[in-house]
Amino acid sequence: MIAALRSGMMGGRLSGLLLVALPVALLIWLVLWPVLQAMVGTVYFPGTGFSTASYAYFFTDDYSLRNLWLTLWVTALTSVLRVTVAMPIALYLRFRTGSVAALVQALALFPMFVPSVLVAYAFIRVLGPNGIVDTVLVALHLPKLASPYLTPAGPIIGLVWDGLPLTLLLLLSGLGRVSIASVDAARDLGAGSFTLFTRIILPRIQSSIIVTLAFNVLGLFSAFTLPFLLGPASPEMMGPYMQRTFSDNADPLNATTQAVITFAFCAAFGLIYVRAIAKGRKGPA
Amino acid sequence: MTDLAPVSPFDASPSAVGRIARRAPIDWTGIAFLTGLAVVILLPLVVTAVWAFAEVWRFPAIVPQRMGLGYWQETLSRTDVWQALWLSLSITTTVTVISAAICFPAAYAFARLDFPGRNMLFLAFLSVQAFPKFGLIIATATIFLTLNLIGTFWGVVLIQLVGTLLYMIWIPVSAFQGVDRRLEEAARDVGASPMRVFWSITLPQAAPTLFAAILITFVNTFYETDAAWLIGLPNVRTMPMVMIAFINNALEVQYGAVLFVFLWVPSFLLMLAARRVMGADAFAKGLGG
Amino acid sequence: MAQVRLTGIAKAFGKVTALDAMDLMIDDGELVCLLGPSGSGKSTLLRLIGGFETPSEGTIAIDGVDVTHLPPERRPTAMVFQSHALWSHMTVHGNVAFGLKLRRLPRAEIRERVEKVLDLVGLAGYGARLPSQLSGGQQQRVALARSLVIEPKILLLDEPFASLDQHLRERLRDEVRDIQQRLGITAVFVTHGQDEALAISDRIVVLADGRMQQVGRPGEIYAEPKTAFVAGFIGAMNMLDGTLGDGEIAAGGLRLAAEGAGPARLAIRPEDIALSEPEEGRTVTVRRMIDFGSHVVIDSTLSDGTHLRIQTDKTIRVETGERVGIRVERWTVFTEGEAPRRYSSDTVRPFREARYA
Repeated sequence: MIAALRSGMMGGRLSGLLLVALPVALLIWLVLWPVLQAMVGTVYFPGTGFSTASYAYFFTDDYSLRNLWLTLWVTALTSVLRVTVAMPIALYLRFRTGSVAALVQALALFPMFVPSVLVAYAFIRVLGPNGIVDTVLVALHLPKLASPYLTPAGPIIGLVWDGLPLTLLLLLSGLGRVSIASVDAARDLGAGSFTLFTRIILPRIQSSIIVTLAFNVLGLFSAFTLPFLLGPASPEMMGPYMQRTFSDNADPLNATTQAVITFAFCAAFGLIYVRAIAKGRKGPA
Repeated sequence: MTDLAPVSPFDASPSAVGRIARRAPIDWTGIAFLTGLAVVILLPLVVTAVWAFAEVWRFPAIVPQRMGLGYWQETLSRTDVWQALWLSLSITTTVTVISAAICFPAAYAFARLDFPGRNMLFLAFLSVQAFPKFGLIIATATIFLTLNLIGTFWGVVLIQLVGTLLYMIWIPVSAFQGVDRRLEEAARDVGASPMRVFWSITLPQAAPTLFAAILITFVNTFYETDAAWLIGLPNVRTMPMVMIAFINNALEVQYGAVLFVFLWVPSFLLMLAARRVMGADAFAKGLGG
Repeated sequence: MAQVRLTGIAKAFGKVTALDAMDLMIDDGELVCLLGPSGSGKSTLLRLIGGFETPSEGTIAIDGVDVTHLPPERRPTAMVFQSHALWSHMTVHGNVAFGLKLRRLPRAEIRERVEKVLDLVGLAGYGARLPSQLSGGQQQRVALARSLVIEPKILLLDEPFASLDQHLRERLRDEVRDIQQRLGITAVFVTHGQDEALAISDRIVVLADGRMQQVGRPGEIYAEPKTAFVAGFIGAMNMLDGTLGDGEIAAGGLRLAAEGAGPARLAIRPEDIALSEPEEGRTVTVRRMIDFGSHVVIDSTLSDGTHLRIQTDKTIRVETGERVGIRVERWTVFTEGEAPRRYSSDTVRPFREARYA
């Protein structure tokens, strides 16, 4: 019996490796190798040797720096906005049950089912020039609003809308670790809502908030579709900038340089995020 | 759901129950959230849906001047729309089938088998998450340039396939792990071979989640824009690319709206089915919540 | 001083009635156990007293002050939760001091009071530890200290020891009783364990299906259950379905004197059955003998197959399959809609003499 089990495990070793071989090969060929290639290929050139000229160009070029700066603050603002908007909903959903709460949850998760192309389209119809908001304002004899379409506010609004569900789910799963009894206990001793949030709930979900922010930063820093469709043409965010450099300017070297720079800016967040998933899953064991 | 719970035999008469129930406090906070979310989340979608049936809607009218199905006929008779739809469906189907074929066995191995380097390899899959996605696509696209895969069907399939790897592995891994070992052991106990156990116990138990993973992959791949844009254009124009063209080139507003309703409703139903199976928790856990 | 008066309390969740028609008076310094199976409404009742739920009907008064609509923090109550609900990011000291800090007491006083209460629950010197570094029993003591430190008039305990093992549970419940008596505090203790309730309470409130079944001292509840539910729930009890008629109740082949007519339930405690010589109509067959050391329980069957448990002296030895005679010393008859009637072999002597003499 034991011998049979053992041979089964030996077979498991080989067949295990065989079963994961294809995805792993694909991962190495199309992700890890390109990343390595991008990092090395932008500083080492066969024949001519080392050169950091493309990086020097990026960090001296005024337009590139303006794009980077735009990306940084849009990412920061959008991440914070997503958490700020999702937090009250998450708190409400954690501590309330009932049919109204179920509806709130369904609505808040709804954007998950709306592809970003459709988000962009719907955004233009609502907040774009002569969109429904303008229509309503005119009908009420109020002045039209300055449309956020093609300004940095455009992608920010679109990205907050689009990212609300996942932010909410991450926060909810963090709040799941705060037991209702521990909140009741604090309430019993006289803690008000504010004290409850800052002294009991916040310390427990600190790590969840950090992970949520990291997840958002990673997704936002190189966001492409919404900034491209809703954002300004100049300066532009890193996503559209990379795409234009690669396709329109046919300049893969500078596009790759920009990609490596985004990797560098996101490295810390990537580390935080992957560590959190790896810890949460405790590996596949 | 509690409505269906049996009322205990000690309960007072129905009138007394009704009297108590009516005093249940109204959830004002919830209603406030509901109202806010309804405006912010539903209004854009409703407006777009109305556009799909508006034949004439000139600013600043609140409602369309003329409603009808005219634009449906016009949009759905465009050859570029149908070409893109078939192309998208074939790319998406190819990606989903290949992805399932290579990822599900790998997921089973990660979940159930012990082999050297298992944790490291699994971490390698997770580490993809540490990179901003569009940067990765740029890096891969540079490789594709040298392989002449830019603007080809298989180039798009490959880049999409990579995008599905993570989800098609981690969702099934948790599905296989979720199958109670004792169920498998009980089957071994009554004399089933390991293969038999896999086909009769493990797979059926994990099937709903695997099915959900396939649905999610299918819908996400169909609507993927970042990679399709960079790798596919200009030769390979998927459905979302056609929609982006409609948005950017400011052709008739209604074309986009019609496609929106035409494509989104079926995909929404698919995703709803997927989520029903998986539950919100599984989504969040996979994301590191 | 700290009295709790519940008047006409009812609580519904949606269309489900969790509690109904509840009147109860808890006296100063009393420890009252709310005892019942899960779903009986005992935790709901406790949460109503603590202010975590608002009753659908009725009023709650503490020391004559109506607190029905006051939130938990404005009631002189403190709750110890089932899952101890300690704040894992704070030390033991931090957990206990939290309520005092909210009251903005001077630092020195907080330290003094925390130390005193930690000493009281036997955790002196543990202040700097994190809850995760404590055992289950110690965590529950911290939770108790956290509630006691704010000097509530009424201590509420919601199955506080449910997650602990039997041995520890018995020790802690004695300690709680001890502390409660030393402080002279009023306490309401929710439990589903009858041993726990019988061991520590001044009075027990038995709940079932959201209704109060009986309120009384432990011995009283055991000896004189008012409903068939209480009879079956508290202590071991043989419950037999029977029929009344001709001045006796017939159940499972057993005939005992009883008044009334129609269907009824016959309740007999295992220790109220004595063994005797086999006699017609009063014979059982031994299925199994269980030796508990201090006493012996005989699992037997009546002539129609109904099980009957008999508790007897540890010196008694019987064999499986053996037929033995029984004599029922005390029994209670429950009839729907009527007060239970209790009989003992003394009170029914005339009948006995008439029939068996």
